[in-house]
Amino acid sequence: MSALELQSLLPQIILALGATTVLMLGAWYPSRKWILGGVVIALFAALSAGLMTPAVPEVGNLYSTGSYARFFVVLWSLLGALSLLLSLRYAEIHDLPGSEYCALILFAICGMSLLSAATSLIGLFLGLEAFTLVFYILIAFKREDSRGAEAGLKYLVMGAVATGFLAFGISLIYAASGSFHLPEAFAGLEQAGGMRPLGLAGWALMLVAIGFKVSLAPFHLWTPDVYQGAPAPVTGLLATGSKGAVFASLVPLFAALGPLKADLEQVLWLLAALSLLAGTFAALPQRNLKRMLAYSSVVHMGYLMIGLLVGGSEAHRALLFYLISYAFATLAAFGVLTSFSRVDDEPQEYADFRGLGYLHPRRSSLLAACLLSLAGIPPLVGFFAKFGIIAAALKGGYPGLAVIAVLAALTSLYYYLAPIVVLFMQQRDARQLRRGCRHEYFVLALCFSAILLLGVYPAPLLDLLTGILP
Amino acid sequence: MIVPFQHLLILACILFLLGLMTVLVRRNLIMILIGVEIMLNAAGLVLVGASALWQQLDGQVMVIFLMALTSAEVSISLAMVVYLNRRKKTIDVRAFDELRG
Repeated sequence: MSALELQSLLPQIILALGATTVLMLGAWYPSRKWILGGVVIALFAALSAGLMTPAVPEVGNLYSTGSYARFFVVLWSLLGALSLLLSLRYAEIHDLPGSEYCALILFAICGMSLLSAATSLIGLFLGLEAFTLVFYILIAFKREDSRGAEAGLKYLVMGAVATGFLAFGISLIYAASGSFHLPEAFAGLEQAGGMRPLGLAGWALMLVAIGFKVSLAPFHLWTPDVYQGAPAPVTGLLATGSKGAVFASLVPLFAALGPLKADLEQVLWLLAALSLLAGTFAALPQRNLKRMLAYSSVVHMGYLMIGLLVGGSEAHRALLFYLISYAFATLAAFGVLTSFSRVDDEPQEYADFRGLGYLHPRRSSLLAACLLSLAGIPPLVGFFAKFGIIAAALKGGYPGLAVIAVLAALTSLYYYLAPIVVLFMQQRDARQLRRGCRHEYFVLALCFSAILLLGVYPAPLLDLLTGILP
Repeated sequence: MIVPFQHLLILACILFLLGLMTVLVRRNLIMILIGVEIMLNAAGLVLVGASALWQQLDGQVMVIFLMALTSAEVSISLAMVVYLNRRKKTIDVRAFDELRG
């Protein structure tokens, strides 16, 4: 690797080396202040990605350093910094080791930004595994919590099986095409002749693995259990960053797919429709906020899948906009849950929230705003995002999917409004929960202003996304 | 190549399916993890074979990455096994069924 390549990959190197440094120094000076150090490192990486011009367009035929990749480095670093800020008080209350927690989150961000930058199947595999391995640990990070242990177990088994599928799929694609680098791998599949079925089988296995990672139906069964058992700030990062990074890597991959997409079209259609329907029906009877958010995230993944299926720069722009709006709303929702959590338990059952809107009006209203944005109520950003996806589906010639998407959006009002009704109900049998701290309020305010501002004035972000799309 | 590529593919597919069956059928966490290892090794076998077929080194580089990654995964998952065993005094996955709703 030359010096120029190292300079081009600087943001990821800052994250990885920063994480290692924090981990090492934390062994001598254990303190929760390291989490603040992690915030600084993540912001530093975001700055270096945003301001520096990379010297080479691609590093080692593995990772791109183009504006698309750099945009996502900035986005994941900011999300990581926000979840670290959220975790500061949480780590104190639950007595989590600060430097280890901080280092793991930084490693996860590094993996996500590598994944979004991948231009080869090796790069994709390494990036994906880099943060999956971290989440195995983070989900079970609260050692005294038996639900966390069970969630960790479930994610471990599912994640390991998905890794097996991904590795086998990649090896079959390589066997059929003779290259890991994405454009050549697809070109190889076009003319492979007798080997073409092998490549398609590889693609099918890869889709299974991707379905597991982003929890598309029918591979979504781990999602509610893991969401429920994992610590709230970790769930926030898992729901936004890890799923978002996979989609961010899929957009250039599908843009490069070419005529091969016709073979995958029906499978993708089915995955999108199934996710929309299964997620919606499973979310309806939920009485636990985290589980409800898990099933609703399956629905959101279905919307993103529509964007991927339709293809073209318009649909991909709608997908990325949806991804960003979903990320901020979800992170804020889990942020509110984090800020409510006490030593003994995190409130997540609807019964804990009854009448909470009168005890903690600001945070409850913010939670309500996030849920309304996820449901797609007009002044908030979720409406605009859903509108973009459905319009793209209609324009791209998928009226069936558009109808399912509209129906899913209408039904989603029921399960998003249910917790809001509970929050502001007249009977007040909720107990006083923990008071928030400055850091948490700062993060929540930032997410809220993003939800509101992007909903009212989305043009700058849309222009930016048009500029970076490959 | 002395061995035809088809034979290698068939062997790898059998290995992958054996691993998958182990994961699906066995209820002992250690056996499940061994099943995953077998799946990953099937992938490694295909990579080595394809690398010989195309006369490139890329596939073998990927195998080395795969081995490094597998060892990282094993170390984390065995740590999880020890931790879960301490909590419940068993590594039967059926014992972990508290989360539902």
